[in-house]
Amino acid sequence: MPSDKPILQVRALTKRFGQKSAVRGIDLTINEGEFWGLLGANGAGKTTTIKLLTGLTRPDSGEIQYRGRDFFRFFREAKKLIGVVPQQNNLDRDLTANENLTLHAILHGIPRKHRAERINEVLDVAGLTEYRDKPVKTFSGGMKRRLVVVRSLLHHPRILFLDEPTSGLDPQIRRNLWELIQKINREQKTAVLMTTHYIEEAEKLCHRVKIISSGQVIADDTPEQLKKGIGHYVLEGGEQELFFKTMQDAKDKQKTVHGESSVREVSLEDVFIKLTGKRINV
Amino acid sequence: MFNGFTGVLYRELHVFSKKAKKQIIASSLSPLLFLIAFGWGFGKEVTVDGLPYITFLIPGLITMSALNQSYGIALELNISRFYFHVFDEFLIAPVRQVEIVLGEACFGIFRAMISAALIFIYSILFGVKLIISPIFFLAFFFHTFLFATLGVTMAMIVKDHGSQASVNTFVITPMIFLCGTFFPVDKLPAFFKGMVHILPLTYSTKVIRASLTGGNINTTYLGLMAAFAILFFGTALWAVKRVEA
Repeated sequence: MPSDKPILQVRALTKRFGQKSAVRGIDLTINEGEFWGLLGANGAGKTTTIKLLTGLTRPDSGEIQYRGRDFFRFFREAKKLIGVVPQQNNLDRDLTANENLTLHAILHGIPRKHRAERINEVLDVAGLTEYRDKPVKTFSGGMKRRLVVVRSLLHHPRILFLDEPTSGLDPQIRRNLWELIQKINREQKTAVLMTTHYIEEAEKLCHRVKIISSGQVIADDTPEQLKKGIGHYVLEGGEQELFFKTMQDAKDKQKTVHGESSVREVSLEDVFIKLTGKRINV
Repeated sequence: MFNGFTGVLYRELHVFSKKAKKQIIASSLSPLLFLIAFGWGFGKEVTVDGLPYITFLIPGLITMSALNQSYGIALELNISRFYFHVFDEFLIAPVRQVEIVLGEACFGIFRAMISAALIFIYSILFGVKLIISPIFFLAFFFHTFLFATLGVTMAMIVKDHGSQASVNTFVITPMIFLCGTFFPVDKLPAFFKGMVHILPLTYSTKVIRASLTGGNINTTYLGLMAAFAILFFGTALWAVKRVEA
């Protein structure tokens, strides 16, 4: 279970690129062990937020604290707490899985005597043990993704940033990755901040969700509460969607609708569309 | 303690070792062509600054190749920044930026040493006698360190791969042709002579040539090389600190 000790606190974070504001005053507190989702359409500011929180991009204003200490004043100490899975698999294609992991282990100061053991552990978790000494350029997309995910865990981070961890993967591999990420969160109590534009992913994995649009948070709650907020049932007919508290209300309304219509339970996607006016994941 | 430095070198040397053969062959070709064209072409009859032209040329080629190789890390840093984002691994890691700069600089120097060694072999094949003074090693270190750190600086401040190519076309190539690799800069018209004395390669070439041909070492020039090395180390550090992914 998540604790109420904050690992990451963010206040009024902003970032501009020239004239364009990418992030406009985001606040965020993540406690140890919590699993957060950051939802938004393409260009909403998800990746920029992750880059700001991991030190790859400098904010124009705002505050970032890890365990109560300023990120930029205690830059190296804070970075030790962080694991990052970037949107793009940033592996060295010419190096083997083992060499990629060894590089990460060196950079994160894992003592030489523990290195091999730790690397074998995570290769096992990723199911890549037999590919240990194969160059990464021979790997499939799913294998590369799994390697990037376990690489980020090598140094036992306390907070893991996942930027669209499963985009472009086939359903089976997505499910495997979900299990892996959930396991890390549950067993190691590693906090997670995951961006995604797969609504079902957020619904299945996240304890709490922030929905952002044009660099601003427009909703922040548990997936359950967000769904409750707009009603439990949705009536779909023609161009519009209507939301109702009870199945009966929805059914009653349905009788007055002409043409084809259907009633179903509300999903996080409905919340998203209602709040942003955009359909995601197309 | 030096995780960043060790990590950078681990990465660069492992990647290098996989392509070493190809890279060494590629980097050995152009100096050989220059030697054949200019060395044999008007080699032994022509004397420049009291030296047979080929003897004059070889230290110039050593300096040029060392520049190409040490500065050449910029190209690979670029690929790792813009195409595969491998450089982000260094930026995300809890390491000091100065270690990233020094690691890359060491790798640049290492590459330069290989190319210089190849030309020393050529000099034997072409029957050229060099007199290696101990100052050569110091000058070679300043020379390769300054161009490696310049390479790091450039690779960090360019916004894309194309701008990196422009820097090479407009700065590096003209410098190689004007700063004394192929002919003494004293022969240049006054305006150009003034201009090339702003460029570090002029001093590198003069000092390295003198240190290999029994000439007099100009200590002011050696000092200027050290100054350029410190300057570009500073700019590289500044650039790595402000670089964003």
